[in-house]
Amino acid sequence: MGEAAGAVDAIEPAGVLEPWEVFRREKDGDPMRHGGSVMAPDATLALHYAREMYSRRQESVHLWVVRRADIHDLADLDLLQPPLDRSFKKPGGYVMRDKLAAARQVSGQAKPKANKGAR
Amino acid sequence: MTDFAGLEPIAMDFSGAGGGRERALALLLLSMADDEFVIGFSDSEWTGIGPILEEDVAISSLAQDELGHAQALYRLFVDVVADGRDADAVAYDRPPDGYIHARLLDHPRGDWAWTIARRWLYETADAARLAALAETSYEPLRQLVDKLRREERYHEMHVDAWLERLAGGGAEPRRRLEAALTAMGPDAGTVLAPLPGELALVRHGILAEPFAAIEARWRAVTSTRLIGLGLAALPPTTDPDHARSGHSDAFRVLHADFTMVRRSEVGATW
Amino acid sequence: MTDPLALDPVLPARERSQLPFNDDALDHDERYRHFEEHVTAGGKVEATDWMPDEYRTQVLRFVEMHANSELMGVLPEREWIMRAPTLRRKLALTAKVQDEVGHAQLLYRVAEDLGKPRDAMIEDLLDGKTKFHNVFHYPTFSWADIGIIAWLVDAAAIVAQQALRDSSYAPYARTMKKICWEESVHIMHGRDVVVTMVTGTATQRGAIQEALDRWWGPLMQMHGPRSDRAKDRDIHWKIKAKTSEELRQEFLGIYVPRIRELGLTLPDPALRLDEAAGEWRYTEPDWNELRTVVTNHGPKSEERLQFRRDNWAATQWVRDAILRAPRSAA
Repeated sequence: MGEAAGAVDAIEPAGVLEPWEVFRREKDGDPMRHGGSVMAPDATLALHYAREMYSRRQESVHLWVVRRADIHDLADLDLLQPPLDRSFKKPGGYVMRDKLAAARQVSGQAKPKANKGAR
Repeated sequence: MTDFAGLEPIAMDFSGAGGGRERALALLLLSMADDEFVIGFSDSEWTGIGPILEEDVAISSLAQDELGHAQALYRLFVDVVADGRDADAVAYDRPPDGYIHARLLDHPRGDWAWTIARRWLYETADAARLAALAETSYEPLRQLVDKLRREERYHEMHVDAWLERLAGGGAEPRRRLEAALTAMGPDAGTVLAPLPGELALVRHGILAEPFAAIEARWRAVTSTRLIGLGLAALPPTTDPDHARSGHSDAFRVLHADFTMVRRSEVGATW
Repeated sequence: MTDPLALDPVLPARERSQLPFNDDALDHDERYRHFEEHVTAGGKVEATDWMPDEYRTQVLRFVEMHANSELMGVLPEREWIMRAPTLRRKLALTAKVQDEVGHAQLLYRVAEDLGKPRDAMIEDLLDGKTKFHNVFHYPTFSWADIGIIAWLVDAAAIVAQQALRDSSYAPYARTMKKICWEESVHIMHGRDVVVTMVTGTATQRGAIQEALDRWWGPLMQMHGPRSDRAKDRDIHWKIKAKTSEELRQEFLGIYVPRIRELGLTLPDPALRLDEAAGEWRYTEPDWNELRTVVTNHGPKSEERLQFRRDNWAATQWVRDAILRAPRSAA
């Protein structure tokens, strides 16, 4: 926290209380997830308040604050839904059942059992 | 622990406090516990009425931390005096003159500037005191001081951020801050005033150095910070011989309030 | 009444998802129809989505009153923070009141993102233009009240709040999950205070019974009079899921046995479980009292509002100070 507070001193006070989005890691190994938001005049107090609002019961192991105005999002959501076929990018795009059956018939081998034992 | 029994539960007799290790240790623990207890009470008055909601939650955590520290210190105290009282009995069942918190903490809550000024003066002094106890030979205290210092680090960051904002937040905040520092400045050093028996503490390796040396170091650090913010350095302590006695009316009012429920049914379990 | 500002979304339209009602090209009635279809089918709404004015207004009013209640609910208990009889009780009560302030923050944040600034909501509360829950208009007389409030007022509240975790307004639903998680501790703290006093001296036990007798009326009124499910717009928009009576029945079902097992009596001779109907019967609560109280004519309404006004005014300079910017004239 000391490091973070030092690093943010350069940011000028905004002149208004504004929303800061809070991201938190609940336990080691988890991704940072959005927790909520706090109103604060600057990053130093935003971090103090994020700690109070999102970890006063030690429910976070890491916290970020991001000024809401600094978040950029993709304007055109249509770009996330390409209209043409992208099945070659996904496992489900490869259907081999019939071809495998034919191959087994040719080789005379039975379908192998799933091997769950120690090798 | 025989020589201590006569002093309780009424006011500590400072002039009679001798050089015994246990007795001096008990006095040190009680003074620290009472400091944390009283500032915790004053700060907890902000819960529910803080200047902004986020800050309200923050100051309440600080108050809870101080009270938690008081509780831990009272527990060490009862282990040392071993007179059958528990931490709650020590915390609540003394008359007002039986408390030995520093005079700085006798000031009422006041406005936000008073709270910040008092917290800043206290936190910096307490940090200096804890630093002098970091290597204490009394193992239970050493373990506790280690934990206290971890929490107090956040307290110092929080209060220093506010000191800076009030000092630079325009005419009115600055005027209020200066008024608070002027009123409480002469009492700030009471947190680090010499304790009876402190030479025994130093001799036994409980305290690294006498309070006068701790206070001098604290004054140098705080003066640099205050002057850096364009504020006046702290004046010398007024009446240092009564740093922890002769409490204010504000504390007596506080005492009447915090003992109210307990007094209503003496000996009951709550 | 709703502030006109509430009708302006604070988040830009470009952040909206691709649900059909977000399509600017459609006319209002068509968007309204898509929106209603989405919500009534169990769909969730985000702050960035388009929403009809009625929905925005309705959610805002609901959340704002909830936030106000958390903020005003601080006051009856706050008086006892200084008087808590042991260190542990003092810590627990301070933490509980702190949570309520924290909940007010979470809820005002949800409402702020619907378009009404926090200062405007606090000013409306202080001016008596918006309301807060009935139970926070009553006085506290003893430490026993603190046990009864933390146990039963919080229990009645949590019954209502649990039913809001699935609200159609997603930011509110998420906030309710966090709040319910935190409030479960309060009930434990309250019940512990009550059980400790009930098993204590005769005076302590008497104080608990006396407090329970006083709080029972307001508790029975707390969820409000029975309402017609079909006419309830909050239910239509799935802002909430349960009617007042459903919540009251749930509260009685869980807590009446827990109260009686302590040997305490409830001051309603008609209170009983109708096994055949599976419903609790009780003397009709005093709805006139409820109306009087929530319109700020309760025993402590004016005093508590004045206390808030005084404190809000006394800390204005602090809010100004951290902004370091001149405030426009009111």
